[in-house]
Amino acid sequence: MASASRIDLLDPYEVAQLGGLEIVAEGVVEGFLAGLHRSPFRGFSVEFAEHRPYEAGDELRYVDWRMLARSDKLFVKQYEEETNLRSMIVLDASASMDWSGAERRLSKLDYAKRLTAALALVFLRQRDATGFIGFDEEVRSRVPARARRQQWWTLLRAVHNLPAGHGTAAADALRRVTGMLRRRGLVVFISDMLFDRDLALLAMQYLRHRGHQVLVFHVMDPAELFLEGPPEARFEDLETGDLISVRPRDLRVAYNETVRRAIDAWRTQCRRSGIAYHHVLTDAPFGYVLRRATARRARLG
Amino acid sequence: MIGFLQPLALLGLLAASIPPILHLLARRLPPVVPFPAVRYLSETERRQSRRLKLRNLLLLLLRTFLIALIALAASRPIARAPWGGSHEPSAVAVVLDNSLSSGAVVDGRRVLDVLVDQGRHVFDRASDEDRVWLVLADGLPRQVSLPEARSVLDTLSPWPVRLNLSAAVRAVSGAMRDDPSPAHEVVVLSDLQATAFASGSDRDAPADRRVLAWAPPTLELNRGVDSVRVQPAVWSPAGEVIASLGGSDPSPTAVRLTVTDRDIARSVGGRDDRVVLAGSMAQSGWFVATVKLDPDELRVDDTRTLAIRSAPPGAAAADPGAGAFLVEALEVLRQSGRIRDGRGLLFSDQIGLGVSVVFPPEDPALIGALNRGLSGRGIPWQFGPVVEGEWQVSGDVGPAVGSDVYRRRRLEGDGVVLGTAGDEPWIVREGNVVLVGSRMEVGWTALPVDAAFVPFLDFMVNRIGAAPSWIVPAFPGEVREVPAAARSLAVHGTPVPIPGDRRVVAPVERGVYFLEDVDGDTIGAIEVNHDPRETDLQQAPSRIVESTFGGDVQLLSAEGLDRELFRGARRADLAGALLILALLVAVAEFGLSSAGGAARREP
Repeated sequence: MASASRIDLLDPYEVAQLGGLEIVAEGVVEGFLAGLHRSPFRGFSVEFAEHRPYEAGDELRYVDWRMLARSDKLFVKQYEEETNLRSMIVLDASASMDWSGAERRLSKLDYAKRLTAALALVFLRQRDATGFIGFDEEVRSRVPARARRQQWWTLLRAVHNLPAGHGTAAADALRRVTGMLRRRGLVVFISDMLFDRDLALLAMQYLRHRGHQVLVFHVMDPAELFLEGPPEARFEDLETGDLISVRPRDLRVAYNETVRRAIDAWRTQCRRSGIAYHHVLTDAPFGYVLRRATARRARLG
Repeated sequence: MIGFLQPLALLGLLAASIPPILHLLARRLPPVVPFPAVRYLSETERRQSRRLKLRNLLLLLLRTFLIALIALAASRPIARAPWGGSHEPSAVAVVLDNSLSSGAVVDGRRVLDVLVDQGRHVFDRASDEDRVWLVLADGLPRQVSLPEARSVLDTLSPWPVRLNLSAAVRAVSGAMRDDPSPAHEVVVLSDLQATAFASGSDRDAPADRRVLAWAPPTLELNRGVDSVRVQPAVWSPAGEVIASLGGSDPSPTAVRLTVTDRDIARSVGGRDDRVVLAGSMAQSGWFVATVKLDPDELRVDDTRTLAIRSAPPGAAAADPGAGAFLVEALEVLRQSGRIRDGRGLLFSDQIGLGVSVVFPPEDPALIGALNRGLSGRGIPWQFGPVVEGEWQVSGDVGPAVGSDVYRRRRLEGDGVVLGTAGDEPWIVREGNVVLVGSRMEVGWTALPVDAAFVPFLDFMVNRIGAAPSWIVPAFPGEVREVPAAARSLAVHGTPVPIPGDRRVVAPVERGVYFLEDVDGDTIGAIEVNHDPRETDLQQAPSRIVESTFGGDVQLLSAEGLDRELFRGARRADLAGALLILALLVAVAEFGLSSAGGAARREP
């Protein structure tokens, strides 16, 4: 069975048990690429390479209609892979990311790290110059964007060594991050977005203004969607240590509504600003997330 | 007013304080749960705080209310409620009109039986805690137990008496007045005939109790014998019975006079007629006679019993000194067979040895000798001086009543006065001697030239001269005064002594009861018959009923009576309603407490 070997579609926690970041990322990316009928990297370059006979699954937009008219046979056009894109993956490593709602589930940070590694591998395989920035209250790690062979390992090391932070001073950190992204490219922002939305949007709009394409992965644990817990509990903010006493049962619906509205607000405001927004649950297979990212990358050409 | 069948369970109300106490005292620190999205939680809590506070307050109230309701339900509260199935212990009086008219048969069923059925229904609705009064046709309130009341109904029959409904209701209202029961009701089960209600000065203040009246259908037409009168009082041997017919039936009917199961006279009469039944007796003595009509649906009032006394004509003679008018008149009576020739009764101006009617002698010189003679016979009366004037005769002197007297000798003494003139004794009697204050001459009185003179003499011979006899008409159970000479009353052949005050309670059973003197001779009779007002079965208009019974009276159908009975005291066990309410509160509490945890929406 094809799906049995495609670990990109397995439960992230199960996949994480296979090995370190690199193994997981390679496995995920291989599986992800194998599931595609065509290379995600061919087709969105501009240099024509050759014709080949049409096969089921090929996109109709690559059918050479002139060849069809002349030879009455279906050929699709193939292009040379080419890169001129700079991708920068920005990972939020604040304390709120280091949390898992269930024992057999990756924390948001672990999930985000594996997603970062896989994305970086995908970008590097299409010869995009790919860099990495990890931050919490400050910028904790930075790998400049390169397209070298060793770049992925460099980047992988930085991701692996990135510790969980203690708080989020997103405004300052984002301001510094945007300052670092001088050359136009793709900025992939992976975070649980538990900071001031207006400030974050302002920063991302600034990036858009600078000509960047911005892709946001809003990582969320499924347990954050629905308020659960004992009949009455004091919920402690992981970053500020603030306590709030509530009866989860009393606020369940209203909380769910608040979260839903927050996600909708992120989605709406990102769309208005030309920012691609994806809500990602930590129990979602990496393959799904990669598909969304590559689709975005494909549109960027 | 609310009562409790299990008042100890009210202690459970203390449990209602548990939720507030737990809320105030048993607060503990909840566990700490690390959570990254406190930002969202804070925002939610801030937005929902007012609603949550209100909801928590409501929950506290609902839980307290729920426990209180359950504790109240356990105490089995009962409260007055018109829809309740039971009732508080009440005082209920049933006036069951088993008067004579209840014997009428309507649609093949006796009215009394219908009334009794309704009475049983009332008693079936009563409980053992109720205090029950029963009033029958005698109008006397009796406090009875339910078994006693049912027992009375089982053997009840129409009594030949009239029930004064207004007096009966008033009496039983008075009897109930001191009863501590919270609700008093008087149930009147009667044909409600108009004559059962007192009118005019007989009507007193209305009853001050709730009165529920129910009447079955009654006869539209009925007739009866209202009264009978024997004329003359003593048949010798012939006479007449004059019967008055009453009721609402205008059709003529046969009227018979029966003595010892033998018709001695017949006639035909209709409503309001006076029917004359002429007959004669072959033998002397006292006889029980009955005037009968053809039977109708109310048979009890179709007959009336009476006593007829038959005796041979009295023997009478007159001395010349009694006057020419008197001698001539006696001759007329003798010729007509009203009197016999003989000295059984002597009209004279002298005192004789036998039965005498003595007039004052024309010669004043003889007065002294006459008075001495009277004294010698132990007569306590004396002829006094002559007085002149103009007076009218009154008293028990038969046809002479109203005759003019111009001259008379004063009758001085003490004893039985039969007649007076100018408020002074004119005819007196002592034993077998009768004294008359005036001579039977035109200078003394107009009587000798009056048409009443001969009948007056007939009266004197056959009534005063004969052995005395008295007829006392009475209704069943009525108290009547009897003559002083009566010593006993023969009831079914047994002489019942008459008390010293001469007041006798007439037997309840209709019939003729003879009065006997000290020697055991019959001197009269009590005729016990129905009250003629029972013959008129017309129902009283509702305004009469209401004005008689007071404002709180309801004329009801059978269904209405069933609905209204004990209405003022009906009570409902509220436990069921409280439990239902508690269930609703519990549902509300569950709904309120589970609100907020039900819906889930994926983003």
